[in-house]
Amino acid sequence: MTALAALRDALVGRPRDAALVGGVGLAYAGLYLWVIGDLGPGGGGGLAARFPAWERVWQARGPLYFEPVGLIEAGPWIWTFSPLNTLLGLVLGWRLRHGTRHCPWRAPGGPLLAALPALLAGGACCAPMVLIWLGLPLAGVLIPVLPWLLPLAALLLLASLGMLARRLAASTS
Amino acid sequence: MSRWRLFPLLLCVGWLGLLPVAAGASLPTLEAPTVPLAYSLQEFRQAVRSGGPGKDGIPSIDRPRFQSVAAADALLAANDRIIGLYLDGEARAYPQRILVWHEIVNDSVAGRPLSITYCPLTGSALGFHRGDAELGVSGRLVNSNLVMYDRITGSEVPQMLGVAIDGPLAGQGLDELRVVWTTWGAWKARHPDTRVLSRETGHVRNYRRDPYGGYAPRRGYYRPQSGRLFPVMAESRRLPPKASVLGFRTRQGAAAVTREALRREAVIELALGDSHYTVIRDAGLDTGWVFHNPRRVAIRVDELTFGPAGVSGGGTEALEPINAFEAMWFAWAAFYPETLLYGAPEDAP
Repeated sequence: MTALAALRDALVGRPRDAALVGGVGLAYAGLYLWVIGDLGPGGGGGLAARFPAWERVWQARGPLYFEPVGLIEAGPWIWTFSPLNTLLGLVLGWRLRHGTRHCPWRAPGGPLLAALPALLAGGACCAPMVLIWLGLPLAGVLIPVLPWLLPLAALLLLASLGMLARRLAASTS
Repeated sequence: MSRWRLFPLLLCVGWLGLLPVAAGASLPTLEAPTVPLAYSLQEFRQAVRSGGPGKDGIPSIDRPRFQSVAAADALLAANDRIIGLYLDGEARAYPQRILVWHEIVNDSVAGRPLSITYCPLTGSALGFHRGDAELGVSGRLVNSNLVMYDRITGSEVPQMLGVAIDGPLAGQGLDELRVVWTTWGAWKARHPDTRVLSRETGHVRNYRRDPYGGYAPRRGYYRPQSGRLFPVMAESRRLPPKASVLGFRTRQGAAAVTREALRREAVIELALGDSHYTVIRDAGLDTGWVFHNPRRVAIRVDELTFGPAGVSGGGTEALEPINAFEAMWFAWAAFYPETLLYGAPEDAP
């Protein structure tokens, strides 16, 4: 069995697993979009969408943090939609669920290490807001490193996925 | 010498002749800044901190569009904050809830290029003449205040200082113009024909949400008692950190008047350095107008008139207007630690 097939079977081989992975992934992606500021309150109650800035789809606002291309209003919510931020949120959400569910007993490294990419990504986005709420003078020291948490999370994600896929393939062959 | 041999010479002379024009077309600056510098440029540079986003990570609005009062009324509440500008007969309002996402608007009013700037972390709004240059957001801060950069020379200018601290223009001051920090309701009452910055900024943002809190009422980061986020060069506890003051600077020093004092007194007389200044309350816009008044001309309050261009009459005719702007106290005290402060609770009888 190839590494990729082993990984796929471990994650979505059973319908219950697939639903769980999908549900938790979507919830995390929503939370991720909220903390980076793409999803927030302010909607007028209706449903509307417009996409006036497709030319900015690749334009970065920070490391692995991209400009929105459209604005979606749904009920009380407003989603400033960036395809790349959304993709990143979905991938990290899938990774979080996958890490916490499978790593404790199937993969080395323990749950915390497995969830590290997602936690780092969340930290990159949540931390400035938390610091503003708390008014910590420490923010001046911490804020410059925060934008780099997201690329670090992505790197760790890729590395850990590769490692896990290899080990799953070895254990099922 | 033939006409063709003279051509390169004429070209050089012509180019030299054009030089002053080219220099004049870039960011207009004053060789000698009209503000007191409490620190050396080197000390200011050392106090620069990263604010998180990179250069232009907070994008300025470079092709602003405007809408009518009727259209803006559908989007703005009367107590929403705006930054107002009146120049050469034209009035413009820049909503705070748009500027909080962009911080700088590179605009032209009556054919004059200018930048309207707003720093949410210090609650300060200033206007600058910009010539052919554009100002951008560097992503860096001094005393929590926006450090702007000039897109022609790369020079860096803290907004509340208005003096370049780095780059080819270091030591030179920007040419400021008065803008008014007030509410939408107050501004449109004074300027019924004002144009209003539209949300069609070229960027997609949630302009119904302020990531730092809110001004009506003050909440989140804007609460007067809440703490600052970044280190400052000097601290003062004479007022709550985010208390709003109206401040002005001259070569001889800086002075600030508390919001409470401004609302209480129609005219405030201040001695600063070896000269004298008069602050006149504008109750309609909830702000003040500052004049250099070295001869201590008595202001006749009953004869003051408040119109589109500000205050007039009542003895102000011969007085020189001085630029002033609102800011959070912690930032004002950090840039101008020797500031005169009028209206602090400790001064109350």
